[in-house]
Amino acid sequence: MSRLLAPQSSLLNLALLFALAAAGLFVWQCWLLAQLFSGWLVAWQQGGLGDAQAQLLSALLPWLALCLIGRPLLQYGREQASQLASLRARSELRRTLLQRLAALGPARAQLGADAELGSRLLEQVEALDGYISRYRVQRQLVLLVPVLLVICTAVFSPLAAVLLLLTAPLVPVFMILLGKAAASASQRQFIALARMSGRFSDLLRGSWTLRHLGALPAAEAEVETAAEHYRAGTMRVLRMAFLSGAVLELFASLAIALVALYLGLGLLGILPWAKGEIPVPYLGALFILLLAPEFYAPLRQLGTDYHAKAEAEGAMTELLPLLNQQVWEHPGREPLALNAAPGIYCQQLAIEGRLAPLDLRLQPAERVVLQGASGSGKSSLLEALLGFVPWQGELLVNGQSLLELSRPDWLRHVGYLAQQVPILHGSIADNLRLAAPNASDAELIAVLEQVALWPLIRQLPKGLETELGERGLGLSGGQLSRLALARLLLRDTPIWLLDEPTAHLDADTAELIHALLARLSQGRTLLLVSHDLQGLGWADRVVTLGQPSLSEEGADA
Amino acid sequence: MPEQPIRLRGLLRSRFGQWNLALFLGAVTLLSATGLLATSGWFISAAALAGLATVAAYGFDYFRPAAIIRFFAIVRTAGRYAERLASHNAALALLKDLRTRLFARVAGQRRLTPAARSAIAMHRLVADIDLLDFFPLRFVAPWFWASTLSLLVLGWLALLDSSLAVAALPGLLLAWMVVPLLGGRLAARLARRDAELAEQRREFLLDRLQLLTSLLLWQRWNDQQAAFLQQDDQWLQQRLRQQKLVSLTALGQQCGLALALLAVLWQGHALLQAGELGVPWLLAALLSVMGLVEALLPLAASFISLGFSQAARDRLNQLTAAETDPASTATALPAQPLSLALSGLSARVPGALNGPEDVSVKLQQGDVLLIEGPSGGGKSTLLQVLAGEPLAFTGERLLNGQGFERWDLRELIGYLPQQLDIFDMTLAQNLRLADLEATDEALWQVLEDVALADWVRSRKHGLKTTLGEFGAKVSGGQARRIALARLLLTKRPLLLLDEPFAGLDVETRERVLASLLRRREQGIIVIVSHQQVTVPEARHLRIG
Repeated sequence: MSRLLAPQSSLLNLALLFALAAAGLFVWQCWLLAQLFSGWLVAWQQGGLGDAQAQLLSALLPWLALCLIGRPLLQYGREQASQLASLRARSELRRTLLQRLAALGPARAQLGADAELGSRLLEQVEALDGYISRYRVQRQLVLLVPVLLVICTAVFSPLAAVLLLLTAPLVPVFMILLGKAAASASQRQFIALARMSGRFSDLLRGSWTLRHLGALPAAEAEVETAAEHYRAGTMRVLRMAFLSGAVLELFASLAIALVALYLGLGLLGILPWAKGEIPVPYLGALFILLLAPEFYAPLRQLGTDYHAKAEAEGAMTELLPLLNQQVWEHPGREPLALNAAPGIYCQQLAIEGRLAPLDLRLQPAERVVLQGASGSGKSSLLEALLGFVPWQGELLVNGQSLLELSRPDWLRHVGYLAQQVPILHGSIADNLRLAAPNASDAELIAVLEQVALWPLIRQLPKGLETELGERGLGLSGGQLSRLALARLLLRDTPIWLLDEPTAHLDADTAELIHALLARLSQGRTLLLVSHDLQGLGWADRVVTLGQPSLSEEGADA
Repeated sequence: MPEQPIRLRGLLRSRFGQWNLALFLGAVTLLSATGLLATSGWFISAAALAGLATVAAYGFDYFRPAAIIRFFAIVRTAGRYAERLASHNAALALLKDLRTRLFARVAGQRRLTPAARSAIAMHRLVADIDLLDFFPLRFVAPWFWASTLSLLVLGWLALLDSSLAVAALPGLLLAWMVVPLLGGRLAARLARRDAELAEQRREFLLDRLQLLTSLLLWQRWNDQQAAFLQQDDQWLQQRLRQQKLVSLTALGQQCGLALALLAVLWQGHALLQAGELGVPWLLAALLSVMGLVEALLPLAASFISLGFSQAARDRLNQLTAAETDPASTATALPAQPLSLALSGLSARVPGALNGPEDVSVKLQQGDVLLIEGPSGGGKSTLLQVLAGEPLAFTGERLLNGQGFERWDLRELIGYLPQQLDIFDMTLAQNLRLADLEATDEALWQVLEDVALADWVRSRKHGLKTTLGEFGAKVSGGQARRIALARLLLTKRPLLLLDEPFAGLDVETRERVLASLLRRREQGIIVIVSHQQVTVPEARHLRIG
């Protein structure tokens, strides 16, 4: 967190400075008012207001106006500075996170599904706002402002200052109590809320099934019970959580009441230990009374902002795995130009914990199917070939080590396809042009012809401009795979790395896609990971990966 | 049932008493806070006067003011605590009502579109419901408190001397009404725009993230990342504008209050000079105007909150305004034996490229129809039409010689769609959705039918095994069989099964098929399957 905020420290310090200046203006304002009323009181006492008081008023009024306007202005400045700091910090953090994800490439899957990573990037980063823009400065104010006020009070009445200070040691105690209570309350509430929301959306998502089964009334009752359960639980937590706030409120009230009584009785000269004396004259008494409410104000504000801190802490724990992830940088810088399909040689290629040493020689334009049990490292091998994970052993392209080659240059020659066909919200043409921004309509049609999609698309009223819904809604799985193949063709790369491109399809469709592949992959160096050999008879070779020596529990990473 | 769309005003009505209590307590608390300061100021000033005037100040009644000060101090503390509890209680009760109501409404629709079923849409729905309580908590309550306090303070100034109230009025009006209302329109607009931008950038990011590897490969990641950061920046700037507006409004309000304070001082001086007002009372008046800050400043953000609530309300109403089930009024139940006839039937799912064309088939009780054909050919669409899903079609669809509309289909059709719902509950709870009163024996029986009984017996918790969100703790094939078992528990005569054997090995498939065939005499079974299955005397239909 501090690393994140370091570049913004000047803005945050500026905000603190503004806030302190505002506190200074407040003291001055109280002093001016006290002077004014003291002057009036004395004059009133002596039989009426004269010219002197009118002069006093006109002398003080401009300064008072300055204080009254200046303080909110400074407050405004403080808010602007800290909000700007927060904006910059969040924007910078998002950039960093995106770069991390890009560096991880396919390996990001270890950290979570894309939708989840996306919501971390959006929401968890956003959750830091309250902490940066409010809590951080307030935390410092809570110590500085009361000290300033106590010093001012002590000038006129050490006893009043002591009265305020007597309650002051309780401040850290209550900060801790407040923090603990608020943190655990918000955490418990959060879990309960998540559970209830989960139940709610789970049932809602399945509402069709529920209705079909005639179970809607039962589900409605279930939603109501869950909501009521949450309400009752939250109220129980809040009753405790608000108590600490109430105690703080009590001290704030008591501080004012005690100071007022002490000063008032003192002015009457009837304090038991100082009968007939006036310990604090009116000017000082009024000044202190005006200051008193502000003594606890920063702490009350901090209490309100406390949940921002809890929220930010929660968010940081979510973000840290991504921020602290060791990212391997592909070191190569050598340029690469290929005119034909290259040979790819793996010699004792191994990936720690994921792939046992492997010897695999793909001759130029050889087409190889790779098989292996779940966890044998098929996908990891492809990740290494794409240059996203470090490896041991040798990986040579036309005899040149991949480690020395520039990754962008290498990737320019590689076509890659995974199980999930990547589709954007947009038209068919948009989706194809993602891979080749400069392709003409004629070129698009040509590749669609090759995958036998064009006859179908031609019939559509909007043709190439037909919008595809979320995840290619409107196209069947087989049609989506064809679209993905068309995109591969559009880039016309000499190397194809395909990671189970037909795993989600039914057997018939998979066979059709395999047949298409047979035709389209001719003349390319192809490595096709597939668990199903149906329709792959055309491949030059089938290689089966052995069990890994260091296999990890779980799915094929 | 004819459900009204959500109205913000209606939100207050549902828990009127609780909201009133919260509002009342809040006003009392704020009043006590102001009263505490004003009384204290009056007290020390009066004491100073008394003390300076007479050497023996014992004639001064200090008990009463001291008691009032203590009273205010305690009321302020207790009031704050009680108000927070009361308002949260009301808000939580409101959220509970809303969840229950919205669930009933959304669930009452024919079918959620896949887009509405996505995790993002669900997340938004849940978040939108939570935004609705901004209206009472952050709009109505602040306005109520600010207005009450402003009026009370004005009245109290007028009581002291009407000219004081007149002097304070312009500044007070500025802080109380003019400035917040001026910012209000813009604020509400900004808040509505906020959700739109946020939505756009979320969609953009999620789209790009799932394409990350490909985009890197195509050398497109950098420009896509830049495009996202630009959108993000736009949104952040827009957020900053909101915050700036709130800060500016607060600034304007405080200027108004400053004006009121200065005017009170100025007018107070004149009154003092004329001897019409004592110094203690003037100080009390000044302090009560100062105390208004606490009540007035929350108005600055009130319209932003209102905008968020309005936007949430609109989205929720839009979501629930989609065609609701016309609640088939037909009550006639088709008598057995059943007969089902399609002639010249064509249909297409909106946006799909293919669909069944000109399908004709006649089925009698005891028939098993196997629908075959390539993926994307429209087999599932045909099944949807058969299931009575609201899908535009041409041609004829008859049950026992009459149109589907004639019949009450609820207890008739058992449809296993491709996209099925397993709930985050135990296996038994999932199954009992079909029949609340089903005995454990009945559950075991249907599990036996779908060849899952052995698997369930091997689980530590047996029937109480939890299935996880979306059925995440079971495999795809198991999930299908659980859904099938649940459907069989309903004992519906017309079974429409979309890929019931997906992900099953040959042996299991045969066992499931056999138990399905045992039921063939009880009605009609239609099966869409990629797998080759052999059914004696089956009817066949090829689609696509």
